[in-house]
Amino acid sequence: MSIEIRNIAKRFGNFTALDNINLEVKTGELLALLGPSGCGKTTLLRIIAGLETPDDGQILFHGEDTTEKHVRERNVGFVFQHYALFRHMTVFENVAFGLRVRPRNQRPSEEEIKKKVHDLLNLVQLDWLADRYPAQLSGGQRQRIALARALAVEPKVLLLDEPFGALDTKVRKELRRWLRRLHDEMHITSVFVTHDQEEALEVADRVVVMNKGKIEQLGSPTEVYDKPATPFVYQFLGDVNLFHSRVHEGWAQVGDTRFAAPESVGDKAMVYVRPHEIDLVREAGPGALQGTIQHIRLLGATVRLELDVADQDAVEVELTREQQQIGAWQVGESVYLQPREARVYIPEHRAATPTAEWSAGGGI
Amino acid sequence: MAQSPRSIVTTESKPVRWLLTTLALLFIALFLALPLVSVFTEALRKGFDLYFEALKEPDAWSAIKLTLIAAAISVPLNLTFGVAAAWAIAKFDFKGKSVLVTLIDLPFSVSPVVAGLIYMLMFGAQGWLGPWLSDHNLKIVFAVPGIVLATVFVTFPFVARELIPLMEAQGSEEEQAALSLGASGWQTFWRVTLPNIKWGLLYGVILANARAMGEFGAVSVVSGHIRGETNTIPLHVEILYNEYNFVGAFACASILALLALVTLAVKSWVEWRTEQLAARDRANAVDG
Repeated sequence: MSIEIRNIAKRFGNFTALDNINLEVKTGELLALLGPSGCGKTTLLRIIAGLETPDDGQILFHGEDTTEKHVRERNVGFVFQHYALFRHMTVFENVAFGLRVRPRNQRPSEEEIKKKVHDLLNLVQLDWLADRYPAQLSGGQRQRIALARALAVEPKVLLLDEPFGALDTKVRKELRRWLRRLHDEMHITSVFVTHDQEEALEVADRVVVMNKGKIEQLGSPTEVYDKPATPFVYQFLGDVNLFHSRVHEGWAQVGDTRFAAPESVGDKAMVYVRPHEIDLVREAGPGALQGTIQHIRLLGATVRLELDVADQDAVEVELTREQQQIGAWQVGESVYLQPREARVYIPEHRAATPTAEWSAGGGI
Repeated sequence: MAQSPRSIVTTESKPVRWLLTTLALLFIALFLALPLVSVFTEALRKGFDLYFEALKEPDAWSAIKLTLIAAAISVPLNLTFGVAAAWAIAKFDFKGKSVLVTLIDLPFSVSPVVAGLIYMLMFGAQGWLGPWLSDHNLKIVFAVPGIVLATVFVTFPFVARELIPLMEAQGSEEEQAALSLGASGWQTFWRVTLPNIKWGLLYGVILANARAMGEFGAVSVVSGHIRGETNTIPLHVEILYNEYNFVGAFACASILALLALVTLAVKSWVEWRTEQLAARDRANAVDG
């Protein structure tokens, strides 16, 4: 079932949580709402679920206006960040809850409930925990039970609020892959909220990047990562180095290096370069910036170098272990940085033409 | 002698420990245990026959019945009100919430005598509604309704006060989950909210009941002390005592004392049970 979000706005006192949001969730897709805390992503999810009412705008499920519908009539499965399992019920009763509260004429028989619950518990691979209480489960197990409980009512839409946020890294990675596989099997229209860009990029079909109650960009994980629409998206999806520069005749100047800049009237520009898109060389070349290595840190498979560059903030460079071994870079060494990719951003242009301000690729 | 694992820093020397423990025990014996024992010894001083005789006496019996009626009406009322108020305060945000919380506490902060006087001022013969009530032949003060009203007033906060912190701590996510699974408001309340608060609720009811049966001040003002009609047990005890009928007074007092003991026992059991459940949760909790 598709979900259409039309001009949704929500304020809490003076705080604008959502500012005129328009979005369409396609049937059967897994969509991620990604953004920092306070960006409005959870509020949007709760409005879709009917747990929160918008001040303005409409929510349409499969073309039908559901804005006024109560949460219990929307037939959505909602998975809470802190699971919200019924603490006084066993795992079995938790999953059975949605079936037991149905009106008598729609309620399945005890036999059917039993079968359905065990099927769902098998689906989440936790049938052996049926008689336990939520307090006796680990976080990952609780979240899977919460998912089974939400699926028991055969929802048309599955909404997950930071579903892995309270889990430790290893379990989180396992669970999100498992969720992706589950979605591939069930094809239920799903929206999940996360502040973890890695999670969004790995799991989702499409990613909505949100900031301050607005949508910054909507696209496939590759699109938002490779072609960020705004500086915010660029900075939010991974680490980034920022160079301040001046624009002169269509070129943004950083030291002796220049980057192709979009047409502009202003003279200030910001140049963004990702740490892994910089090469280090020992010889000065055209378009290379000089810097001094301050720190070298080993981070598992990668090596992070921090460099001092004249008139700029500290620059981070990420190399593979291999590159580091071949280069044999030392602390205190003076080297040259060669950005392979860069994005130029002219602040003054921001409001007028949000896409034109980005020059694609790194014309050096 | 094996050394206990107690920290030396927080342990006093032996004589000091003995002294403090003895003082505490003496205090408890003198001010708590002794009066309780004396109630029963005084009541039974002239034997069991006279004791039961004193209780079977019509005025005493009527006092016992009236006390039970007052409790039987006020406790369910406060149960309903307390749950509703706690639900509203803990699960919703609305204007005037802090005013409501303060109002709930009012019966705790006002002297019971003042509470009784409020009802006299409202429903008494000289009160605001007095003439209208007498025109319609309705009696509130110096009658059972007044006693029930006063009892409801003084026991007002017990259930709500017990539940509000509990419900606030539990939050409303489980309720939201229940609603999203298609449960109605009633189903959510009966199947999710109530089971989560039942021990706290029972505790509040026990306290409210103890107070309802033992209340003296507020009830004394509105009762009028009509023997066999508007006397509750505490009022009847006072009357008998003033008449030097010690066996009768202590016999009735022993009923209240017994009630207090039963209440304490049930209360301890509830506390023990709650602690057990919590301990079970902790023991079984798997980390993560």
